[in-house]
Order: sequence, then C-alpha cells, then structure tokens
Amino acid sequence: MNRAGREVAVVGVGYAPVARRGTPDIRELTLDACEDALDDAGLRAEDLDGIFQYSFGIDSPISVGTQRLLGVPNLTAFNDIMGTGPSGLASAMDAAMAIASGVCETALVYRTITQVAGHTGALRESPTEAPGPMQFSSPYGFGGGIILAMAMKKRRRLAELGGAMEDYGHIALNAREWAALNPRAVFRDPITMDDYFGSRMVADPLLLFDCDYPVNASCAAILTTAERARDLAQPLVLVDAMAYGTGSSPDWMYADDFVFGGTISCGEALWARSSFSASDVDVAELYDGFTHITISWVEALGLCGIGEFHDWVDDGRTIGPGGSLPLNTYGGQLAAGRMHGLAFLNEAVLQLRGNEGERQVPDADVAVVANAHGPQCGAMVLNAG
Amino acid sequence: MAVKPTPVPDDVTRFYWDGARDHELLVARCANGHLSHPPAPSCPHCGSRALEPHAVSGRGTVYSFTVVRQAFDEAFLGEVPYLIALVELQEQAGLRVLTNLLEVEPDDVEVGMAVELTFEARGDQALPQFRPASDGAAGDRVGAP
Repeated sequence: MNRAGREVAVVGVGYAPVARRGTPDIRELTLDACEDALDDAGLRAEDLDGIFQYSFGIDSPISVGTQRLLGVPNLTAFNDIMGTGPSGLASAMDAAMAIASGVCETALVYRTITQVAGHTGALRESPTEAPGPMQFSSPYGFGGGIILAMAMKKRRRLAELGGAMEDYGHIALNAREWAALNPRAVFRDPITMDDYFGSRMVADPLLLFDCDYPVNASCAAILTTAERARDLAQPLVLVDAMAYGTGSSPDWMYADDFVFGGTISCGEALWARSSFSASDVDVAELYDGFTHITISWVEALGLCGIGEFHDWVDDGRTIGPGGSLPLNTYGGQLAAGRMHGLAFLNEAVLQLRGNEGERQVPDADVAVVANAHGPQCGAMVLNAG
Repeated sequence: MAVKPTPVPDDVTRFYWDGARDHELLVARCANGHLSHPPAPSCPHCGSRALEPHAVSGRGTVYSFTVVRQAFDEAFLGEVPYLIALVELQEQAGLRVLTNLLEVEPDDVEVGMAVELTFEARGDQALPQFRPASDGAAGDRVGAP
C-alpha cells in the first residue's frame, strides 16, 4: 500500500431527519446531523479540532459557523470546499488528509442541503446578453446546464459503447429495492422498468427517474486516527486509499472524455494506492445524482470492464439485495434524497461495521465510495479493521 | 416576450465572433498544432499561449444531442421541442462545438450524422449553428495539422 502519514478511521456517522418540503433553518439541520454523528462516535464537540464542509455556499453553514453552533473551542484544521470539488465526499477527503498529515486529530465533516438549493431544473428568466462563459451556451438555450450535459452523456454512451436504456433503469430500480429496507429513505415503494420509462422526459433521453430527488437534509461523519478509533466503541472502519480525478482537458462539456470525465483516471489512481483491488470490493456506494454517473463509476472502478455494464448487471441481480456486488445499499440519492454525496460514505461505514440489519451485506470487509463525475471526481476505499 | 441572449465578445473571444459575423467558424490553433474550442487564453492540451485563429470547414458529425422537451429558459419556451448538440468537427478528433441543430426534426437526428455550418442572426452578432449536411457526407477527417 502506498500512503504517507497516519492511518485514518471513520468513527461516527449521523443524519438529520430528511424532509421533502418546507424551508428549514440550515443551522438546525446541521446541528441535528452533527450531534447524531458525535453520539454515534461516543465523542463530544470539544473532542473535535477539525471541521470540513462541501457546499454551493448558500445551503450549508460554513465550517467555523458550525464550530460556533456546536461550541467547539478551536479548530487547527478547517476548510469550506466549493461546488467545484468532488461533492460531499470532498469534505471527508480533506479531513482524511489533514488527520493523516497530523494537522488535526479528530474532524467533523458534513453536508447540509435544502430542497430549494438542490433543485436544478426550474424555468429561469433569460438574460438578454451572454457574457463570459455563457457566450457559448446561453444563446443556444442551455439553461438546463448539467441536466442537458447528462442527457448528452447518456446518449453518447449508448451510441459508443452499446448496452440498452434499461441499463440506466436498473440503477433506478435498484435504488428503490434498497430504499425499501431503509427507514430514512423518502421513496420506499418499488418501481418497475415500465415505471422508469413512463417517468417524465426531462431532456431526451434523460428521464425523471434518471435524476436524484431534492430534499432538506444533512448528514455528517467523524474521522480520526486509527489509533484513537481503537479506543472508541464502534467497530473499526479504516480509510485504505483515496484519489481525486479530473481527466484531460477537464470540463463538463469539452473534456476529452465526455462520457467518463475524470472517473477512469480517478479509479486508476485509487487502485494504484490501495491495499485491495477491484475484485476485493464487497459493497459499492457510487454517486447517483444521475444514473449515468453510477454506471460510469462501476466501469471506471473496474467492477466490470468498460462497456460491460449491460451484461454485468444481469438484469439488476448483481447489484440488489443478495447480489454479488450490492450497490447503493441505502437507496442512493435517487430514493433516499439528494444529500450530495456524503451519505455514500456514511452507508459504506455502516455496512463495514456489520450492524445494518435487514440491509447488511454479509461479510462486508471492503467498500468503495465514489462521488461526482466530469472534472471533479473523488473516490475512497474503506475496509473493516 | 423574452428575447434570446446575444453573446457578448471579450478580448479572448472577439476573434471568434468577428469570424462568425463574416460567416466563418474560427477555432484556436496553438504553436504545437492543436485546435481548441471554445476560445481561451491557452491551449487545453499543452498550455501553449501562442494561439492563432484557424478557420475550419464547418463540417462535422453529431457527437451527441438532446431534445429539450421542457424549457429551462423563458426565451426558449416557444422553441420546445428543440435540439442541442455537440458537433465534432472533421478537422480534429475531440474538437467539439455546442450548437442547436436547425432544419431537422428531432426524430430524424442520429449520433454520427453529417452536419454543416450555418448561421443565425442574433442581435448584432451572428451565431454559428449546424444543420444536416446538404450532400449527406461529413467529409474525410483531416489528420492533425
């Protein structure tokens, strides 16, 4: 294994109650999630000396704001990561690096998000001018932004690599299967492939059920050194390796690799550093803000070969309860709500602890977590200590 | 009624919009021969800052596309359903332009189909657009210059 610095463990996970509507106070949501994580770890606010958060800026308190909310005396490491980072996992990646390098001992990470802030599909006023980066998109009616980019990535993937539209449907159906076992999930009823294809066409060929669901939520995690973690009550969960990935000519639209973005580069770096290989993975928690992202990661991480998802997923059997590679075992953002990536880490930790009851993957020892796509990818391998 | 946005040229992009007004599609060509789009201060392949405008033929293929069936922009409400595409220009693999597709029905568009350059008047600018190639051929891809 290639790693410099101290071993890092994830010792606490927490959630605020998820709501589909309303305008909550983001400080209350954050307190709920962070206190839940501290309780889970058996720690108190004064045990923290690092806080990291990822957000778009308006929908999550800044790290020192949360320090104040919790009454933490001081931080020797902190950061507020912009939307251009690899989603919620970015906060945990920063925290892991700070702890490994000795800049702090015990770090809190969180992502608070509101339903309004997470909703990217609204009709908006058209400005009459398109300056700066808008020059090459707004004039063409590109207000849908990421939604339109994802629609084009889905279509290009199918044209270039084959497979079937049903491949995307299986990600959506799988989310509901696992959500049925997760009391925190917002959508717990199963859907069929007919339901998937019958969902509203957002931007052809992107369907509503290809997209995650905006909610009011917060989730949090606590990381510390492995040495410290061994003194705490929860089963030991270690960060084995992590990597970012951007790909060449990075851009959501103009990257060299339009279909995979930086996911393949990220996967290569991740396995080069890990004690494990793709074939060791027992459970995978892979971002599903859009179903295309999840399929990209399955292949980019080598869980199957590039272009092989269609055969590998075996009509959904591979990734569901009892399958050979359980995927998004809490319902993902498609069914459990858009918590912007950190909940994938939380779920991996819960699986590796072995106490997940109905949705426990048997003998889960190695998990892979991945976030985002395009020019801002991040991934982590965790293992049961 | 909401008006569609007109691009605002700046020092980095002015060459592009000047070319468009003359009904030319210009991309940047760096000292190492890479073509790039959209206009930027340097080449995304090698970082070279020695860039020159380079006219391309305007021929290419549809790399991917989407049919916008639910408007996100007020000014485009009346256009729905309309096409947004990435066109890969014949001059260089990976050289792609974001565009609408004009003079074609959504059901008749396929990835890989040949397209050609056209222009749409927009305010005081000319907006590069693409439509199906009139002769049905994308042209041979030219090797990297």
